[in-house]
Amino acid sequence: MAKQQPIEIFMPPNILKAKVGGSGGLDSSAIKRAEAAIEELKEEFAGWLIEDVNRLTEMRMTYEAKMDTAALSDLYRAAHDLKGQATTFDFPLVARVASSLCKLTDDTSYGLDLPVQLIDAHVDAIKVIVRDGIKDTTNKMATVLAGELERQVGAYLEKHLGA
Amino acid sequence: MSYRFDRLRVLIIDDNQHMRTLVSAVLEAFGVDLIFEAQSAEDGWKIFQQNACDLIFVDWVMTGMSGLEFTEKVRTAPDSPNPFVPIVMLTGHTSIERVNAARDAGVNEFLAKPVSSKAILNRLVAVIEHPRPFVRTKSYFGPCRRRRRDGAYHGPERRATDAEPQENIPANAA
Repeated sequence: MAKQQPIEIFMPPNILKAKVGGSGGLDSSAIKRAEAAIEELKEEFAGWLIEDVNRLTEMRMTYEAKMDTAALSDLYRAAHDLKGQATTFDFPLVARVASSLCKLTDDTSYGLDLPVQLIDAHVDAIKVIVRDGIKDTTNKMATVLAGELERQVGAYLEKHLGA
Repeated sequence: MSYRFDRLRVLIIDDNQHMRTLVSAVLEAFGVDLIFEAQSAEDGWKIFQQNACDLIFVDWVMTGMSGLEFTEKVRTAPDSPNPFVPIVMLTGHTSIERVNAARDAGVNEFLAKPVSSKAILNRLVAVIEHPRPFVRTKSYFGPCRRRRRDGAYHGPERRATDAEPQENIPANAA
């Protein structure tokens, strides 16, 4: 029987609790202040979203020009940022399409010759959703488009990567 | 008495300025006075070394050092100023494989994007009120990776060397 490695378990001092003090809780106005802070930022969300979409477009062009690991990683990160933030910016369908693009570009270990047309279709779909201000997750055109992109990514990964 | 978040020093590491601004705005609204921001894990490491940070929010996917690598460095580097600092991982990843990988690096809590003020508050409360014991093995140093004790579980402890956590034992970094 193999000798087991020793495991040390201990509780470090709870410095955080000591610092913030007391019996816990947060005055209820704090959440309201935070919500208000986000509301204030919403005026900037449209500009932020356009910046993120422009960055995605730029990374797509760089990837198509270079077709190397670094460019694909940059493209993935740009898509990943949109996946994480677009819902906050009130564009959940952008997040959905970006998520699909992340799936396509996530793993570079299988090769770099990803279908450029499918990448382009994602980027173009995101640009259309933003251009047309589609914030409603039930928008028929956008949901059909997102669904089709997800289907194509799934088919590509299954066919080429054995996913 | 409500929390005195004004006493905290928080470091936010994210290569996306917008996300940093968003998290920072929420923390400020909660009363946090001193917020450090870094656009890369490398810059974040420098700030962490030069300032006594009480809590770190770090993005997973970044150019250069990832949030995962940063967390491992905080936990295990010989020159880490505080290997016990609570780390909240900002992530768009939700698959169980990714979550396990982050736990294995020593992350305390996850904050899935899109973020909200309530989600940020919940993570703050979690690291304050429900800190996990630390575990040191040959291959891991960080918060106990068992998420929560399951009160409904009445079976035997499955880790052969299970021991009750001891209170307040100062320990050197791994």
